[in-house]
Amino acid sequence: MAESVIRGTPVSSGIAIGKAFFVNRSYQSLLPRQTIGPFQVPAEVARLKAAFAEAQKELVEVRKRMPKELKEYKLILDSHLMMLKDPKLVDLAAKYIRELHVNAEWALEKAVAEVDKTFRDIGDVYIRERIQDVRVVADRVQSRLIGRGAEVREAPGRYIIVAHDLSPADTVELELNKVMAFATVQGGKTSHTGIMARTMGLPALVGVAGLDTLVSDGDLVIVDGIGGKVLVNPDDDELAKYHDLELQFEAYQRRIIRSSQLPAETIDGYRVQVLANIELFEEVAAVIDNGGEGIGLFRSEYSYLNRASLPDEDELAEEYTDLAAIMAPRKVILRTLDLGADKFISTFGRLDEANPAMGLRAIRFCLKHPEMFKTQLRAICRASAFGNVSIMFPMISGLREIRQAKAKLVQAQDELRREGVAFNPEMPVGIMIELPAAVMIAEILAQEVDFFSIGTNDLIQYSLGIDRSNHHVSYLYQPLHPAALRSIKHVVDAAHEAGIEVSLCGEVASDPYCVPILMGMQIDCISLSPKAIPGIKRIIRQTRMEDCRALLKEVVDCRTVNRINRLVKETIFKRYPEELTFFASLLDSDELGG
Amino acid sequence: MNRQDNEKAVAGSGAGDVLSRQVVVSNQLGLHARPAGVLAQEAQNFASKIQLVSQEQEVDAKSILDILTLAAARGSAIEIRARGEDAERALDRLERLFLTRFGEKK
Repeated sequence: MAESVIRGTPVSSGIAIGKAFFVNRSYQSLLPRQTIGPFQVPAEVARLKAAFAEAQKELVEVRKRMPKELKEYKLILDSHLMMLKDPKLVDLAAKYIRELHVNAEWALEKAVAEVDKTFRDIGDVYIRERIQDVRVVADRVQSRLIGRGAEVREAPGRYIIVAHDLSPADTVELELNKVMAFATVQGGKTSHTGIMARTMGLPALVGVAGLDTLVSDGDLVIVDGIGGKVLVNPDDDELAKYHDLELQFEAYQRRIIRSSQLPAETIDGYRVQVLANIELFEEVAAVIDNGGEGIGLFRSEYSYLNRASLPDEDELAEEYTDLAAIMAPRKVILRTLDLGADKFISTFGRLDEANPAMGLRAIRFCLKHPEMFKTQLRAICRASAFGNVSIMFPMISGLREIRQAKAKLVQAQDELRREGVAFNPEMPVGIMIELPAAVMIAEILAQEVDFFSIGTNDLIQYSLGIDRSNHHVSYLYQPLHPAALRSIKHVVDAAHEAGIEVSLCGEVASDPYCVPILMGMQIDCISLSPKAIPGIKRIIRQTRMEDCRALLKEVVDCRTVNRINRLVKETIFKRYPEELTFFASLLDSDELGG
Repeated sequence: MNRQDNEKAVAGSGAGDVLSRQVVVSNQLGLHARPAGVLAQEAQNFASKIQLVSQEQEVDAKSILDILTLAAARGSAIEIRARGEDAERALDRLERLFLTRFGEKK
């Protein structure tokens, strides 16, 4: 038996077996505070400066070896280098050595605390958060001063990164070509660690409690991103078993990638459109490579973030047009801005909402700021002349909001017509169904629009009254909760009754256990992250529609999540032996709830 | 920008005059981490003492951390002050960075 087996949440699939290496272990508790004699001051200052110089040299090396896929991270590294070279940090620390007669480690910590103070008052969130980078840079110098960590960093071979938590700043400093997997104590499904790991195709677990005390540098560990476990110092049997699983998983991955360009069609000839959720134009390549048949959800928020002013119409139109043109004739559904005022402090001022999730956001925020909204509507209409573009409004709670939003759209189109600017007057208009209120009145809403898209992430949160990122209640987040399934079914039926198309975007669409149920409901399209497309297409291609319908019939009568889980596992999943091996843990972790 | 209008020599105390020039932050994201780094790196190539002044805040142009604390958004007016042998050249070079938006497209 392994020394310890710790459970965690898998955020990126796969198996890794290797040596553990801790990063970002908080140094504060390790730092010795020592008083030095006046005669020691020059030597201590010299030691400080040498540590800065060495850290700088290390970082230049890290930068050289950074993989191409992550070139945007190089910019972060460049600013880290400048921070190391910044005379301010090192001079401040040297000053504390001279004036307070303390050791270099302590002086540096005090200097960082001082910089932290000046950053705290900065209004711009993005700039204020750069203090994180200062901390990462200072930690690198500290590890040089303490003489710790460097041995592992220079060790040949690859290792498994273990940490309390990882910020983007931490991850860029890693030599990624040496990383085999990640495991962190903190973090949820949407954390940066997961995104990074999926981009790199490395297994990752978050929420692994007790990692800091149970794992030491150099321990042999297995990160099981399939079963959601970390095994510390495993025995020979476990090693052999996981080595086999690793090989099987790699072979399975190669197979699904090979078949990703085939249509998502069941054995008995039923087609489902499999579309992609993206937020950056650059992701288009991943969509096409992974067999995505279009863009089911383009999150338009990115162009509005991390900047001092709002984007102008030409800038947005250029972005949307590029997207529409490159995807044509494939479908591109552009969702209008889904943000609240908290993201635009510089433009609209702070609102101080006690509960922003239920506050002035998404369509409500846009209707409150008609000029900003019109700019985006005009840009979307302009792009509609260049491809197969649909528009979609988020967070609709009732008829009035749809009518107001559509009136703004008509206004924008009238203006463009008068100006002689080309657009598609037939552009389909849809709404997101993500509030329980919209579910209840789906029949009424269906009369007003051309399509529905069910946003299950928010719908499940609002239906069950739980915040997924709150770890006290996140165990209650159940995609297969009978309330969630009944809501989805109600919306699909209402849409079909009215003769409009219905799609589903949200994690449910990439959950292999939910997809057969959705198919039983006759969902028209599903939209998911590009990376998840090949696996889901493979499941659809192994499925019979009649089995899905039979499954659905039984599922709607189930009263508990457990019962539904068992049903899915014991019936339809028997048909996909490989998926059963690689995804069974998803169901196990759901069994925590009732 | 017409340099002649904007450049003025402020009477210096001691060796050399303080030269200064007005610039405006024109890249979209303002003086965020990357431009701040580029600016500090360029400034470090000069022997002169170089300061940036914006809204009564005066910071060291050779320090990325100092520049970040200005939190200068697009549209902010900034005065570059330099004193030393290569002050004139430093001003030319740093002004150029502002005018070319630190190499950013927007």
